[in-house]
Amino acid sequence: MPTTTPPDLLVLHTLRCTGHTGVERIAAATGLRCAGIESELIDLGAAGLVVRTSGPFAAWGLSARGRAADAERTAAELAAAGTRPAVIAGLDRFLELNPELLDLCAAWQLRPGPGGRTVVNDHTDPAHDARVLDRFTDLDRRAAAVCAELTAALGRFGRYRPRLALALRRVRAGDLREATDSVTSFHAVWAELHEDLLATLGIPR
Amino acid sequence: MTRVHAVSAQLDEPAARIGGKARGLAELHRLGLPVPPAVVVTTGVCRGVLATGRLPGGLVEEVTAALRDLAPRASTVAVRSGAAVSMPGMMRTVLGVDLPGALDGALREVFASWDAPRARTYRTLHDIPHHRGTAAIVQVMVDGARDGHSGSGVAFSRDPNTGEPVPFGDVLFGHRGPDVVSGRVRTHPLGELAGREPALWPELTAALARAERRLRRPCYVEFTHESGRLWFLQLRPAPVTGRAALRIAVDLADAGLIDRREAVRRTTGHDLEHARTPILADPGVLAGQGTGAGPGVVSGRIATTAGSAVRLAADGPVVLVRPETSPDDMHGLAAAAGILTTRGGPACHAAVVARALGRPAVVGAADIAVDPVAGTVTTRAGTVGEGTVLTIDGTTGRVVLGHAGSTVDDADPHRDRLLGWADDISGNRSPRSAADRLRDAHAVLPATEDRR
Repeated sequence: MPTTTPPDLLVLHTLRCTGHTGVERIAAATGLRCAGIESELIDLGAAGLVVRTSGPFAAWGLSARGRAADAERTAAELAAAGTRPAVIAGLDRFLELNPELLDLCAAWQLRPGPGGRTVVNDHTDPAHDARVLDRFTDLDRRAAAVCAELTAALGRFGRYRPRLALALRRVRAGDLREATDSVTSFHAVWAELHEDLLATLGIPR
Repeated sequence: MTRVHAVSAQLDEPAARIGGKARGLAELHRLGLPVPPAVVVTTGVCRGVLATGRLPGGLVEEVTAALRDLAPRASTVAVRSGAAVSMPGMMRTVLGVDLPGALDGALREVFASWDAPRARTYRTLHDIPHHRGTAAIVQVMVDGARDGHSGSGVAFSRDPNTGEPVPFGDVLFGHRGPDVVSGRVRTHPLGELAGREPALWPELTAALARAERRLRRPCYVEFTHESGRLWFLQLRPAPVTGRAALRIAVDLADAGLIDRREAVRRTTGHDLEHARTPILADPGVLAGQGTGAGPGVVSGRIATTAGSAVRLAADGPVVLVRPETSPDDMHGLAAAAGILTTRGGPACHAAVVARALGRPAVVGAADIAVDPVAGTVTTRAGTVGEGTVLTIDGTTGRVVLGHAGSTVDDADPHRDRLLGWADDISGNRSPRSAADRLRDAHAVLPATEDRR
């Protein structure tokens, strides 16, 4: 039976993995409803664990205490689940895929130009884009197996798989920013998963 | 066909069989330069290993015997991959392999790395066929970490940023080659070799000059010195673009290495466009000083991780500030308008990538400290956070806080002379843009060099 993470920890930990962010992105990451998230944020704020920055880039973020509390609570959650070895194995498999994913992101953003130079990919060469997307799809298949193992170890990892799949579906449907260039992109979700694995295991960057 | 070749001046097999690196080593031999004894196992063997999962019978003995013919007392070797088309960082190199016991495993590891998923993806993206396989070079190990008179470096025959005819590169004393290009260790400018190893400096500079005369292009070499003795491990043409490419084309023509037609033929419209790269007008209070590694001036908001560079870039130009970069930062490097590192030298990963992307870059700004966890950058002008605007000048290596203006140095005699030669070729002297003058000349020149 996979562990169930309480909503306040889900919100806290999402901020740990995404940096400063807004309610909608927390909703996408946690699957919680916006109203519920706002109420959790208010409680967490009252406890001094999260802070809201104002101005043009207004967002929620962790305080130093919030960061410490998240580390403590995720460590306790992992200890209670007794699945640390499985999460470590998942990180190892993730790290095997990571350089390839980053190559793919670079290839999505840049393509070979005249004279052997690299030029910004303006997405006017459908053959290049199709080739990169094919490899994305292949990597996504291999990543799905890693996500499944992680989810069996700790239920909250289950949110990554649908988010990655959604991003890829959107790219295929023509929303080219969803590969590397938006906060909901495959790359952005992937980077969150990377951060989550490191944070969950207490490994510094 | 022979599956193991001694690497020598006589070796002249096609790159499809022995890979580009072995061909570079053979060229070094022909130049009479010191190369550690080596043999190369052909790509055909790799294809067989990938099909069967094991080395062909007798290969280890054959390689060991061929190497012992060249170096009877060889006991430790390096096993390097080397495909026909360069696939930097994608395949394995195994250093410090004991003969003959460990050779089987090292060769299998290098051959198997051809088929690693990441290498497959790289080939798919770069139109390189999957069936080719890689050659493997088995070379007597020279150890840059051996003693106080040992080290490793990379050297360009000319400064790849400015085109100036002076040797340029990085050296690390007491380290092996992979440390030099990793960016993880602070390298020294190549010129420091002259003070540390005065006997080796003239040997290195003479070798660069000789290689350039042979290739008739600016050259790049990798070298190791072990106990005061210099060895070359790699030779290939140096990639140069923009202002530097123009200057080098003109200088090579003046030196008689190429003719004026070839100087014009080698120049691209892109080089011409980038020959007018601006430099920082008035730096004011310097926040830091590093090495210019990719010319151009750029202002942007600070990002201290690749991830935040990608995020912040959605709202405008970003300067990625890192202690160093690795291939794992590629997405951030691609998203950034400029790159600043506090470690590394002019041939470190960040510098190479920046030049490939045409991004301004400053590397090795040792007076700046980055804390990617806190998202802060400490400079000579104070500590600032992510999102603060900073300006870098990838020509002079200067770093200032805030937006700073730039100026274009219009007086570029090399550009003017080259365009004059272009007009001689086209026979068209009507006033028109530089790009048109070059294009008209290219229209009457053959696509490849005509050597008369």
